[in-house]
Amino acid sequence: MKDVISKTQLLNHSIDKVWDAISKAEELSTWFIEADFKAEVGYQYTFTSDGKEGCEPIMGVVQKAEPYTLIYTWEVKNTNVETTVKWELEDLGEKTRLYLEHSGISQYAGNTAIKMYTDFNGGWDNCISLLNEFLIKEVHAE
Amino acid sequence: MQSSITKVLKAVADPTRREIFHALVVAATAMPITQISGQFQMSRQGITKHLRTLEEAGLVQIHTKGRERFCFADPLPLKEVNHWLKFYERFWDTKLQDLSSYLDSKSD
Repeated sequence: MKDVISKTQLLNHSIDKVWDAISKAEELSTWFIEADFKAEVGYQYTFTSDGKEGCEPIMGVVQKAEPYTLIYTWEVKNTNVETTVKWELEDLGEKTRLYLEHSGISQYAGNTAIKMYTDFNGGWDNCISLLNEFLIKEVHAE
Repeated sequence: MQSSITKVLKAVADPTRREIFHALVVAATAMPITQISGQFQMSRQGITKHLRTLEEAGLVQIHTKGRERFCFADPLPLKEVNHWLKFYERFWDTKLQDLSSYLDSKSD
C-alpha cells in the first residue's frame, strides 16, 4: 500500500498560464479555495475555504516557489497533522504537464489519522459538495 | 492504539504477511499459530516473526490461551490509511478538473 498521492494532468495551456493559476492568490481563489497566498518561500498561507460555518481552513508554509516547482506544507487547522503538497510543471510548448504529489500521512500515528479523517468528515470537506457526496457514499458502502 | 501508519505500511509491504493477514481476515475468527504455520508450510518461528510485525502494526491481535496462542485480524489501521488516501485521491481529482475548466474558460 502506498501513502503518497500522485496525480498527472495534461493541460492545453502554456506553462506560465498554469503557473499563475496555481501560484497567485486571486486565481487560486477562483478555481481552488479562497486563498491568502504568496508564492514566496516562508510565506504562511491560508486557504479559507468558502467561509461557511464548520469549514476548517488549511494552513501552511511555502517551502519552495520557483518556476515551475511549488511546495508547501498542508495542515487542516486544529489537526496538528502536517502533510506536504508539491506541484511541478513541465513545459510541452503549447501544453503543460502538471504533476501533483501529496505526501506525509505515514508520519502520523494511527489515532491521529482517525482524528484527521473524522475532522474532515464533519467539517471542512462539507464545503465541497462533490466530496461530501463521495463521503456519504463511502459511509453507506461500508 | 499507538501504531503508526508507517508500521502498517511496512507490515503490508511483505507478500507473505499480506497472505497471513488475508487468511486471518477470511477466517474471521481467532486462529492458533500452529494452524497458521500448517497452512503456510512455514516454521512456527517464521510465522511468529511475521505475526509480531503485524501485531506491532495493530493489524493482528495475539492472545495466549493455555499452551496455544491465538491470532485474529484487526483491519482498522488499514482503513485509516485507506480513508485518507480515498479522501485526497478524490479531492485532487476534483480540483485538477476544476483547474482544467478554469484555464479553458480564462481568456488569454
